[in-house]
Amino acid sequence: MTRKPNFLATFKLITFFMMFIALGAIFFYAPVEKTMGIVQKIFYIHVPSAFFAFFAFFITFVASILYLFKKEHKWDVIAFCAAEIGLTFCTIVLITGPIWAKPIWNVWWTWDPRLTTTLILWFTYVVYLMLRGVVRENQRSNFSAVFGIIGFANVPITFFAIRMWRTIHPVVITAKGLNISVPMKHTLLLTFIAFGLLFSSLLISRIRLEKMRVNTGEIKALIEDKIHFG
Amino acid sequence: MGGTAYLFAAFSITWAIIFFYTFSISRRQKSLEIQIDKIREILEKSLRP
Repeated sequence: MTRKPNFLATFKLITFFMMFIALGAIFFYAPVEKTMGIVQKIFYIHVPSAFFAFFAFFITFVASILYLFKKEHKWDVIAFCAAEIGLTFCTIVLITGPIWAKPIWNVWWTWDPRLTTTLILWFTYVVYLMLRGVVRENQRSNFSAVFGIIGFANVPITFFAIRMWRTIHPVVITAKGLNISVPMKHTLLLTFIAFGLLFSSLLISRIRLEKMRVNTGEIKALIEDKIHFG
Repeated sequence: MGGTAYLFAAFSITWAIIFFYTFSISRRQKSLEIQIDKIREILEKSLRP
């Protein structure tokens, strides 16, 4: 019984150290980009955040399908928790993007295909989470699963927006690979590992919390029934 | 505002969001632990002869 919390605590500690190593690499190892200057370093948090937001929504999509097929409550919990974390990462993307855009494009926001589709994606999952709060409990899981599947349609549109339409958003990942120098690639890899650990640690904690909440609710309902009906 | 200020703003906000989300998880966990303790008390009382 005590092994699981210890594992999670160790995992969180590793994540914390990895985040510090990644920060060190961003500020002391990665070179300053010639055209954009120091502000380009926002790239190291913007790109991994976007990747893990997409990944989280993919988990929601898969877990929603599995819930509809198997009707097992755990898949609904996983879908919901992944959506919440995905939305957190997507919020980081939508905040760091305009901060990076202002000194480079001279505007905080422009209705560019990538930016617009990302904003729509953010609203989609805000609605997903809000819907769970208003739909009746017996319909909540089914409704959320359907929404989780339909909502995911916007993820590939957002990802390919910079390839399908004319856009000012830079294309970093091309068919030839990454369009950046080797130290930049190393730093990006480190930040990807750090954000991956952070994402996993948040997802494990959130799923554990949700299971605990559901179990506590069930036990409370049982006790209340026992008190009221003897 | 120089490049450093934008960089500082981006990193500060990112860390703040991560911190607040982690804090909200731990706060919700604390509240559940309190509820579990209350349930335990109720059960212990009802099981006493």
